[in-house]
Amino acid sequence: MNLNTLYLAVAGLVLGPLLGGLAAGVDRVVTARLQSRLGPPLLQPFYDVGKLWSKVIAPASHWQGMFVRWALVASLASDVILAAGGDILMCFFVQAASASFVALGAFCGNSPYGKLGAQRELFQLLAYEPVFMVAILCLAKAAGGFDAFSIMAAQGQPLLFKLPLIVPGLLFAVLVKLRKSPFDIAASHHMHQEVVRGVYTDYAGRDFALLEVAHWADVTVVLWICSFLWATGPLQMLITGLAFLFAALLIDNISARLTWRTMLKTVAPLTLILATANLVWLYLE
Amino acid sequence: MIDAYIGLLVLWPVAAGLASLGLRGQAARSALVLGTAAVLAAAAVGLATQAPFTASPAFLASATALHVAQGASFLFPAYFLFVGLKEKHALVIGFALLQLGLAAFGEFGLPAPAVVKTAVVCDGLSLALVLVVSLVGTLISVFALPYMRHHEEHQGFKTSRQPQFFMILLAFLGFMNGLALTNDLHVFSAFYEATTLCSFLLIGHDRTDEAKKSGLRALWMNSMGGVFLHAGILLIQKQHGLADIQALVDPALWAGLSLLPLALLGLAACVKAAQLPFQAWLLGAMVAPTPVSALLHSSTMVKVGVFLCLRLAPVLEGTTTGRLLTLAGAFTFLGASALALGQSNAKKILAYSTAANLGLIIACAGIGTPVAIAAGVVLMVVHAATKGLLFLCVGDMEQAIGSRDLEDLRGMIAKTPVTALAAAAGSMAMILPPLGMLAGKWATLEAANASPMSMVMMAVGSALAVVCWVRFTGTLMSGVAVAATPAPTSSLSTGPILTLLAGTVGLGMAAPWLNAMLLPAWQAFMLPDGWALLPPLFLTAMLAWILGMKVLGRQSAAKLATPYLGGLPSAAPGSFVGALGRNWTLSEGNEYATELFGEAKLTRIAGVLASVLLLALVGGALL
Amino acid sequence: MFGSFLKTSQVKSPWLLHFDCGSCNGCDIETLACLTPVYDVERFGIINVGNPRHADVLVVTGTVNPRNAVVLKNLYDQMPTPKLVIAVGACGCSGGVFREAPNVLGGIDKVIPVDVYVPGCPAKPEAIMDAVVTGLAKLKGILEASK
Repeated sequence: MNLNTLYLAVAGLVLGPLLGGLAAGVDRVVTARLQSRLGPPLLQPFYDVGKLWSKVIAPASHWQGMFVRWALVASLASDVILAAGGDILMCFFVQAASASFVALGAFCGNSPYGKLGAQRELFQLLAYEPVFMVAILCLAKAAGGFDAFSIMAAQGQPLLFKLPLIVPGLLFAVLVKLRKSPFDIAASHHMHQEVVRGVYTDYAGRDFALLEVAHWADVTVVLWICSFLWATGPLQMLITGLAFLFAALLIDNISARLTWRTMLKTVAPLTLILATANLVWLYLE
Repeated sequence: MIDAYIGLLVLWPVAAGLASLGLRGQAARSALVLGTAAVLAAAAVGLATQAPFTASPAFLASATALHVAQGASFLFPAYFLFVGLKEKHALVIGFALLQLGLAAFGEFGLPAPAVVKTAVVCDGLSLALVLVVSLVGTLISVFALPYMRHHEEHQGFKTSRQPQFFMILLAFLGFMNGLALTNDLHVFSAFYEATTLCSFLLIGHDRTDEAKKSGLRALWMNSMGGVFLHAGILLIQKQHGLADIQALVDPALWAGLSLLPLALLGLAACVKAAQLPFQAWLLGAMVAPTPVSALLHSSTMVKVGVFLCLRLAPVLEGTTTGRLLTLAGAFTFLGASALALGQSNAKKILAYSTAANLGLIIACAGIGTPVAIAAGVVLMVVHAATKGLLFLCVGDMEQAIGSRDLEDLRGMIAKTPVTALAAAAGSMAMILPPLGMLAGKWATLEAANASPMSMVMMAVGSALAVVCWVRFTGTLMSGVAVAATPAPTSSLSTGPILTLLAGTVGLGMAAPWLNAMLLPAWQAFMLPDGWALLPPLFLTAMLAWILGMKVLGRQSAAKLATPYLGGLPSAAPGSFVGALGRNWTLSEGNEYATELFGEAKLTRIAGVLASVLLLALVGGALL
Repeated sequence: MFGSFLKTSQVKSPWLLHFDCGSCNGCDIETLACLTPVYDVERFGIINVGNPRHADVLVVTGTVNPRNAVVLKNLYDQMPTPKLVIAVGACGCSGGVFREAPNVLGGIDKVIPVDVYVPGCPAKPEAIMDAVVTGLAKLKGILEASK
């Protein structure tokens, strides 16, 4: 591992959450504008985390803080792996570990809403992980390698033209990860409150602040992987990532929440079949 | 020296087993089992220092030994026939007769195969299985000492059956070691049949109706496997006149020839490893006492199947048979993981998960490249330790509360903290990077890049496994933690559990180097491409561990918040004061989504699809 | 610098928990109107969260009776510190026209300490927003005093 990789890793560690926080801010502002409102300042998510940092509250379980720290380290690690050009499949597995820790912390809690959220979170993981993995396999096959650098070293033509059928799957994964309707099933994002805060109900104070930072890191990783579809240059990657973000926001604002059964029985298999078809087609040609 | 090690590994446990038959006292039995454990562990480590090597110890190479092996191929089916006639079980009788027929044909209808020059070949694969048997297997046997005593109290046996139990258990260890080390197909098949016999006897140990039924099911299905095995061996004998395994796995030998014998051996392996559609015997075997489930049906006996496939893997590389085997293995990984999700019976969850992971290893074998085989061996070793740990923990918790349903195991962290935490750690070890199981899955996914459908099935299976194990861990750690006095445990229970836990984590972290050691071109401590990502991940994990423990310490001392119940007060944990001012109980349950993962429906669909794949495997080799 | 950022954040991100004790819903409608595009409280970083563990400001409407007093106390206790309580509407401030009814204990301050009172029946959305801003100024004062 040379010095360059180390610099990239540190950059990923620091910039990952920051970019994710900015994305969250853009999310809030654009959603507000779509709803004919002004919305909060762009840096609002950072103020939110800063506020949560100093809140004093008793934990809901003894294990909660431990799981939060593990989730944060895992999310940051997935950012670092991607930034340093590592294996994107391992990056995915590390991010999935982070999601597992969040669910486990909710299982240990003491509110029924948290536990309900944890059960739903498991089904969300079950729904989006296979199609996201197959999308990564498609990216690797089309680019000829699993490491982020070979995928970003796009040869002239963007990968999107070889991988059109993984777009629904990636969009599905983005919606789930960003906790947007119609897949805002496990955590009923603010103002919806269907299951109070679902999997996040028992997390509060500094633990919740750290989870927000982990969430930002996750968002960066997911949008970055989406941006591999048009990786001809850094600006193009940024635009592609933002395009997926805007698509997610638009879908969020025009749709109602689906049930986990519909997600698991209809949406997940459909997107998986499309992505698998793309993968098989890549092998056949 | 090597001969001494091999003798200790194969013969000592059999002798100790016979000795155990005569011992009635608990202390003497403990001494015998602990002594055997020490001897086997030492001998296995000693063997490891000498590996790789070939040898021909007298007791395995002499003419007498070969005659014993030949006799065994008649004696075992004859005993199975006797059992079948006694129990009036048509399938047992049928397969026993088939085996006798095949044995007779092989003995009298075919020319004898060339004499096998080296009786024992010990390479990375054999050594891995020997270490698993001698280290994990012996720990499980030690755990069985206090477990069986409590078990017999619970079951109300009038006379203790522990002497017979430990005889079979210890002898089984010897048979497994012999199977791992032998280079002669006939000796291998003799040990294969011996393990079938041990499994049948141990499953039926409790002598309840269910135990007898399950034992017979295991017997006929494994006899069917034996039929496939013998058929394959006879075809090899006819085609090549060989019984030498090392000579057999030379790809040059099979150039242009039909791989039907190997497909049949693969089929036998699939039966032994409880692959779909043969998983029924493993599920039924869960009625046996926990040490049996841990030893035979997760750590060692079922590994015979994957061991055989991994042994044949170099020949399968790039062939249609190999590709179909990969598909079959990946499909079992997917199907069994899905079946595990619909289960609330903890031992059945473990059984389905075992079948699934064995499918993954068989998929590695089907791919056949050195990278895939190395990944498969690492998976085999890490899985044995992890699954053994999980079975021991579930058995211990089951004895504490008298139920093996996951819903009843909710909140066990309060009742049996050490065991429950070990189980939680074990189940997370099945899915967490950077530990061995996940690293193996990752390596397999990347090695399978010739077969897109296998990759997709592995991806889906992996997601199913994550949900299964997170739910398992979450259930153990959830529920109402009432301040209870933890149940008392014996050190002979906790010792093996903690050792296995250390082993699971240690092996999980050593996985990259184990993998590297198994590859043909190994330089000291150099990790192949891609695996170099893992050591930094280990460091990160260790830092996270330290950070987590610090926070755990701080939050453990803190007073917990009252549960959020929409603002309603909670007079006692697990209840709230609701309508009419009454205490209402809060009940909690996992969502098993049985409309999707229900056992009956899914077994039928998965069984049909798996049968099609296996028919294609054999049929494809025929054509 | 980080410390001053943390201090500014404390007043730039007030998350509301809205609880209706015994209100006729008039004040609740006005409170929820604040979330609409016409008044748009999200400009101030205000979000309506349903979970007391995430909330900073408890906005309460309606009269307190023995039944909902328990719930109100629980919600207040489950909020993290530092927290603000805003009593909205005449009923919340003092019990309003229902003050002398047999089951009414009175206003919110009979159960929990209130920081800002918003009179009105119903209170206007502008008044409610003003109350939150006043509360934040009070919070800022408390924070500066405590450092």
